Amino acid sequence: MNVLRWWSGLLVAFGLLIVLRIFLPLPFNNEIVIFAVYVIGCNFLLGRVGFISFGQPAYLAIGAYGTAFYLYYVGTNPLVGVLMGILAGVVISTIVGPLFVRLRSDYFALVNLALAIIVFFMMQKVLADWTFGDDGLWFLTNMDPTPVIDITRPAGFYVFALFVAFLVWALYKYLDDSIFGACCLAAKINDDKVRFLGYNNFHIRLLAFVIANTTTALAGALYAVYLGFVSPEMTSAARAADPVVVTILGGVGSLYGPLVGAIAYTGMKDLISQAIGNWELVIGFLLVFIMLAGEKGIWGSLEPLLKRLVSRERPAAVAGPATTDAGVESR
Amino acid sequence: MIDPHLLLSGVIFGLSMGSIFFLMAIGLSLCFGLMRIISLDQLLYYAIGAYLTYTISSLVGNVWIGVLAGVAVSGLTAFLIERFVFLRIYARDITFSMITSFGILIGGIGVIKAIWGLVPRPVEVPIEAQINLLGTEIPIYRLVVIAIAIAVYWGIWLFLNKTIIGKAIRAGIEDVEHVEGLGINVYRLFTLTFVIAGAMSGLAGGLNAPLIMVDPNMGLEILAFVFMVVIIGGLGSIKGTFVSAFLVGQVVSIGSLIYAPLAQMAPFAIMLLILLIKPTGLYGSAMLKR
Amino acid sequence: MSKNVLTVNGLDAAYGESKVLFDISIAVEERQVVGCVGRNGAGKSTLLKSIAGFLRPKAGTIESEGVDLIGRTAFAIANMGVKYVPQDKKVFSDLTVRENLELGSYASGDYNWDPVLVFFPKLKVLMDRKAGYLSGGERQMLMIGRAILGNPKLLLVDEPTEGLAPSIVSHLKDVFREISKTAALIIVEQNLPMICGISDKIYALNEGRMVAEITERDRITPEECEPYL
Repeated sequence: MNVLRWWSGLLVAFGLLIVLRIFLPLPFNNEIVIFAVYVIGCNFLLGRVGFISFGQPAYLAIGAYGTAFYLYYVGTNPLVGVLMGILAGVVISTIVGPLFVRLRSDYFALVNLALAIIVFFMMQKVLADWTFGDDGLWFLTNMDPTPVIDITRPAGFYVFALFVAFLVWALYKYLDDSIFGACCLAAKINDDKVRFLGYNNFHIRLLAFVIANTTTALAGALYAVYLGFVSPEMTSAARAADPVVVTILGGVGSLYGPLVGAIAYTGMKDLISQAIGNWELVIGFLLVFIMLAGEKGIWGSLEPLLKRLVSRERPAAVAGPATTDAGVESR
Repeated sequence: MIDPHLLLSGVIFGLSMGSIFFLMAIGLSLCFGLMRIISLDQLLYYAIGAYLTYTISSLVGNVWIGVLAGVAVSGLTAFLIERFVFLRIYARDITFSMITSFGILIGGIGVIKAIWGLVPRPVEVPIEAQINLLGTEIPIYRLVVIAIAIAVYWGIWLFLNKTIIGKAIRAGIEDVEHVEGLGINVYRLFTLTFVIAGAMSGLAGGLNAPLIMVDPNMGLEILAFVFMVVIIGGLGSIKGTFVSAFLVGQVVSIGSLIYAPLAQMAPFAIMLLILLIKPTGLYGSAMLKR
Repeated sequence: MSKNVLTVNGLDAAYGESKVLFDISIAVEERQVVGCVGRNGAGKSTLLKSIAGFLRPKAGTIESEGVDLIGRTAFAIANMGVKYVPQDKKVFSDLTVRENLELGSYASGDYNWDPVLVFFPKLKVLMDRKAGYLSGGERQMLMIGRAILGNPKLLLVDEPTEGLAPSIVSHLKDVFREISKTAALIIVEQNLPMICGISDKIYALNEGRMVAEITERDRITPEECEPYL
């Protein structure tokens, strides 16, 4: 019974995603799933560790280029390519992590954004001999079809991406419930108290940092395989807004916020780009509005309503784990 | 070995670039020091300053009037944004101001695109003449930019050290609650500081406009450098910002003479190195916490 | 309506979710010295912060001479003559003593430093020294000096003698007695002989609640207060 309850939220969420597949075009669905994976790392860092990272595009690019280098120069198996992307994410975040997580949250944000811009320059100019600069790497035809479900085709890829996303969500749900998740939250609110409890702040943050950014690299790897193409454009500063906006839009620190945010964001982006074409204007002021209106985001506002609805129908049902709407901590 | 003429013009180039960085970073740094906010929207005022310089200078034919208009409009925009947005979020955590100001920056870029379009705009250099310095031709305009930045540093120093409001700001950078406890309306200090920061960013944009092409994303392009300046110098330190702005300017300029990609990579490497040794930057105080 | 310098009624205060003060009521009359004692964490500092406007109470009223203080900014409360001298002894260390006093004058519009220098003649010689180089006692003098500019009607002083030498403690005691000729004081203090020597009334707090109020002059003794520490 408990096992079922633990999985039920995840199953409902992903069940709804599958239902969405019937109504919406495939590319849109693929975009949503990858985007949600991209954002959950940022959401975790902000909601659970209290670090805001404008540098997520850097880790996205690291994953994407990890996959792209493998598929362009070495092998042909896209699954191995995804693994290489994840590996690149683990390696890079383990290298920069010890330096970054020592920083105060304000410096952390600035340094991460600087990292994103540097990765952009590296891919665009410094490593141009291997990345072909702005032209990008094209390897769609290099990829061998995979057995069972062919992930080199959009329809097969969707099934694969959905499965990967499900695993990612299960991992984050597990983390939220674990001692580690509690430690992260405690470290966010009060450094000293965690130390008194005998946990090492630095290690907690480093682990959270590596997990979050590896997830982001995974999203990059998924992008690479899905598009069969990578270019430095994905790390440009103008796109640094995306994960932060979606995190805030969906609801900071909530498990399903990234999913809701990704759907809303991708949908709005399509609609608004078609209608007015001035995307920045809308998204920028939307961001300011959400922050001023209480920064709960879509899911953060919906969640209590849904909970109340569910518990009214089944009065016996336990309210479940404490609500996760720990927004940006006030001073 | 680098040609000495090239080196000299590289140094001047770096100094003028450092001047722009300084004008940008000083606002960010002051806002952080006093209000504990990271005001990414300063990069918007930079673009506003540049665009106003473009529009006014093409209307009246004088770049300097354009720059003055840019400073005025950026200051005014900063004032309005402070009143309507920041006043509501001062009490919140620093990440809050970062996200909100990022929204303002992105939204503001959208507004700029709506008004001026996507096409990059050129602004003519107000002083075309060159001066011969040790056998090297140096554009006088670049020297003027450097002189203005030094004058601004000196002016801010005088303001902070010789006027009572400046002293209150310095005291507030140490501990804003104590200033408030004395009975000083700190919110007025906040507004003033924010407007000064916005005007300085506008000045940076206006002065830089003839040196680059004015385009909607110009704020995002300079952003990494301004951040590196602020981080290397230490958030909240005026002297640190001044030193690190010129350091980064030189590293970018001389670095690109040696090997082009160094222009972007070298300051980043220096930043990482300094953070490794001192996580709060050169002059940043570890105790700057509310 | 009472014309008390301060009337607090049913005050509840909290930091975020954790409640710190429960149903506190106090009254301070003109030129009265009120001592506030209690263990660490009893909520004494929180009480002063709430009165000074740095912490918005959850419930209750705070009035000064019939004027509601709740919801006013801290600087507005300071300008009404209710000045707070925090415990941390943090002067503006980058500014000189003179500049520190100038800020007090700027805030209050009172540029007459004579009373301050009569109380603390030592500050005269320290005028151009950076406040960061002052000793603990000198800092406390500067903070009190800064606060009494503008003739406040109520001073809220948080643990003024903590960590200071006995000679300075007795000096401060005299100064407080002198100040009380023109202003009321609430002094949070652990040093019982000192606080009992000057107080007209003692409040004792424990775990956020008011546990005793001693108003009889002859009962204000260290022995009587001892159980509350």
